[in-house]
Amino acid sequence: MTYQSDVAATLLEVRDLRTEFDTRTGTVTAVDGVSFSVAKGERIAIVGESGSGKSAMAMSLLRLLAHPGRVAGGQVLLDGRDLAGLSERALNAIRGREVGTVFQDPMSSLDPVMKVSRQMVRPIMRNLGLGRDDARTEAIRWLDKVGIPDAARRIDAYPFEMSGGMRQRVMIAMALSCRPRLVIADEPTTALDVTIQAQIVAMLKDLTAEAGAAMMFITHDLGLVARFAHNVAVMYAGRIVEFGPVGAIFAAPQHPYTQSLLRTIPSVDGLRNTRLAQIPGLPPDMRRKPAGCAFRARCAVATDRCARDLPELGPRPGGLAAACWVEGGLTAAPVRPEPRRKPARIAPGKRMTVEINNLVKHFEGRSLLSKNRSVVRAVNGVNLRVRNGETLGIVGESGCGKSTLARLLLGLEQATSGEIFIEGLAQMIFQDPFSSFNPKMRIAGIIEEPLAVQRWGDRAERAARVEDLVAKVGLDPSHLDRYPSQLSGGQRQRVAVARALALNPSVVVADEPTSALDVSVRAQIINLLADLKADLGISFVFISHDLLTVRYIADRIAVMYLGEVVEYGPAEDVFDRPVHPYTRALIDAVPIPDPKLEAGRSNAPLKGDLPSPLDLPEGCAFAARCPMASDLCRTEKPVLKKHRTSQEAACHYAN
Amino acid sequence: MLDYALKKSVQLVVTIFGVVTLVFFTLRLIPGDAASAMAGDTMSGEALELLREQMGLNEPILAQYAAYLRDLVTLDLGQTITTRLPVAEMIGKAIPVTLSIAVLTIVLTVIISIPLGTVAAYMAHKGRARLDNLLTGFAMIVDLMPSFWTALVFLLLFSLTLGWFPASGMVSLDDPAVFLSRIALPVLVLSVTQIATMARITRTSVLEILSEDYVRTARAMGWSEFRVLFRHALKNAALPIATVIGLSFGNLLNGTVIVEFIFTIPGIGNLLINGINSRDYQLVQTLIVFYALLFVTINFITDIVYRALDPRVTF
Repeated sequence: MTYQSDVAATLLEVRDLRTEFDTRTGTVTAVDGVSFSVAKGERIAIVGESGSGKSAMAMSLLRLLAHPGRVAGGQVLLDGRDLAGLSERALNAIRGREVGTVFQDPMSSLDPVMKVSRQMVRPIMRNLGLGRDDARTEAIRWLDKVGIPDAARRIDAYPFEMSGGMRQRVMIAMALSCRPRLVIADEPTTALDVTIQAQIVAMLKDLTAEAGAAMMFITHDLGLVARFAHNVAVMYAGRIVEFGPVGAIFAAPQHPYTQSLLRTIPSVDGLRNTRLAQIPGLPPDMRRKPAGCAFRARCAVATDRCARDLPELGPRPGGLAAACWVEGGLTAAPVRPEPRRKPARIAPGKRMTVEINNLVKHFEGRSLLSKNRSVVRAVNGVNLRVRNGETLGIVGESGCGKSTLARLLLGLEQATSGEIFIEGLAQMIFQDPFSSFNPKMRIAGIIEEPLAVQRWGDRAERAARVEDLVAKVGLDPSHLDRYPSQLSGGQRQRVAVARALALNPSVVVADEPTSALDVSVRAQIINLLADLKADLGISFVFISHDLLTVRYIADRIAVMYLGEVVEYGPAEDVFDRPVHPYTRALIDAVPIPDPKLEAGRSNAPLKGDLPSPLDLPEGCAFAARCPMASDLCRTEKPVLKKHRTSQEAACHYAN
Repeated sequence: MLDYALKKSVQLVVTIFGVVTLVFFTLRLIPGDAASAMAGDTMSGEALELLREQMGLNEPILAQYAAYLRDLVTLDLGQTITTRLPVAEMIGKAIPVTLSIAVLTIVLTVIISIPLGTVAAYMAHKGRARLDNLLTGFAMIVDLMPSFWTALVFLLLFSLTLGWFPASGMVSLDDPAVFLSRIALPVLVLSVTQIATMARITRTSVLEILSEDYVRTARAMGWSEFRVLFRHALKNAALPIATVIGLSFGNLLNGTVIVEFIFTIPGIGNLLINGINSRDYQLVQTLIVFYALLFVTINFITDIVYRALDPRVTF
């Protein structure tokens, strides 16, 4: 069934699109009969986890798939013209001209050896029929519009001379400069920091609205969708499982998958006493797609019919359409949220597990010819304490020094000055377990490694310990003989947790442990960490840019900016009543998966980029981006001091 | 850029000085000296001693070294021991011949192998691997053939059987047509190996670049496949290719020694072989320094080109 948008005239209509990848082990049907339409000026969000086929679908529209991907069937009608049947040459007249594209990774999506001007000016000349000088003026105008400071000069910069946020702005300027009627944005903010993400999303929304262009926004982040979309298509295993207006999707989703996804996200109002809902299992292997509904193995309300017949999109209340045999989805069988486990043995005591005093880490860069040394002040005088059994969340944008702090805690890096006291042992969980495991080692060996290094017990004792650990992190013991590449992302992260726990550490440092995981798996890992925290009474240092997750799991939060802690206090207080303007800006930038709440929020994103840690300003490091900065802030550095009873903040105007 | 070139030139001078020093002392370590080589077996002990005195071989080694450096800087390269001709003049005559062969080979290689490798990469990227397999097969066969063997086969086929090119005869720059016909076969022999290597390197580099995100961006902007391939992909692939061209110049110089000998071409390579055979210290020593100079200069040029191609390269 095709969902007919009633906003205005149809711009794009996709009918029964099928995309296949011919691999050695079989044909993968990445997009399996997708139909929808987009009206002129409409903003549509395509939501799904990795492997859901959302990117393959978007790339199929303009046949931008790399070999061995190919469009195997269906129609892509742009103003009634079928793009799927066009020759490559005819399609090139559409690409960039009628349909602009913004890609995920700004760091790699611009040609590194070409100046921005070269990459922008030629398409404008070709598509708008302008002369070189006029095209250049037009390019500068767009760069200015997307917020590139000093655009007339920066246009002659190379991409590598710009930050990630700046490059994504250039990508957007490129995509919009030829005045397309449709902009396809494939995860355009995933690689960016939350404050930059807020800027980019707001800008994309404003600029497409201004130009009257429609936008197709592909994302795995439901919160972002609530911020700007008119319509939402939720994809699972190559098919659209739910489609409809954004308000209805968030207020009363109808498909069990959409319902589960929304429940897995930690909420903003912060009920921390319940476990996160988690979707059991993994998405299906697209090479051997099961008959019937692809979601049924992970669905709480699946029936016999779901195993036999493939459900088609059917109308639901609120203008929605859902592909499910069970009317109402999960609401048919209400589940009560499970309470979160209480810390059993050890309550957060007075004893300190970690004590960090005046910690400083400077990296010195030296150049041979010039005398002036450049110093990166990665960590610049940090004082923190972690009590026994407590979880400290550290948040901040990339470059704020949070990962350097983690490395210092583990002793992987020598501090320039200051002290770190750790009672007991510290262990680490990395963001990407795959690259931190030896790919030629079996899982059992990986978990046993720290034990073997420390000559813990004999071989039999170690094997028993490994089995014990595997059970603790909820991993199937049959996985012990496998290699890391044979596990899913969530399973690998469980292995990483098991390895970190092997030597009974007193504190585990987790650096972005969930950011490489899909939403449905993320909740599994967060629940696991929360359980371990309650059961084992170990302390955690949880480093993340995902504020909602940190709020859910941490007892106390430290907000870092350019190597310094600018705010510190109990998690609820920091979130509900932030004292420092930077904390407030960070929280405002986090998208909330609720269109009503989103509409009511101040959507004035924080301006500018993080300053370079090479030359820090004299006064408050945040002054350049702060809405309330005064001369005092620019000359005198505020110190971290108590505000209210429990919070500390470094700001002259905290009250 | 100028800074960079300047800094690199300083390194260049230091390297050359090192080579000169090494060559000087290594040759002095070999048993027997220039005087006894010159004298042969017949000269009496006294006469030999006199010769040593004349040649300054009785001076302390450091004084000899200083004198040698002084001569080198003033380009006073002395005379060959066997023919008593000025070394500078002999090398001066041989250089244009060898360089012509080398440069022509490089040009021919680049003209053929880069488009070939690029197209092969494109086909492989699109999943049509026939040209790619052909290229790999060709490269493997060529790699198995030593260049002296190829040279002999070419000589047999093109000169003796088909009679397209002369197998021997005067080599003079005065008559370009004759000169070209004389160096054509050496250039072909050297090119075959070079083309095989270079086409494969090009193919690998371009293939890797073709799956980069910015290539997809270029496609999404509506550029034709031709432009995507030659403007975006090849330009980025040019970096590793330039490095390989620079490195392969070394191989090429090795190759010239062999082909010059086989085709009796009076280039640097032949000069070197003759010098070694007649134990002509003066000549060999200078030639080694010259080769070193050539290598270092090529590396220098590669570095500069690399930097010009890739704005990200810093120092």
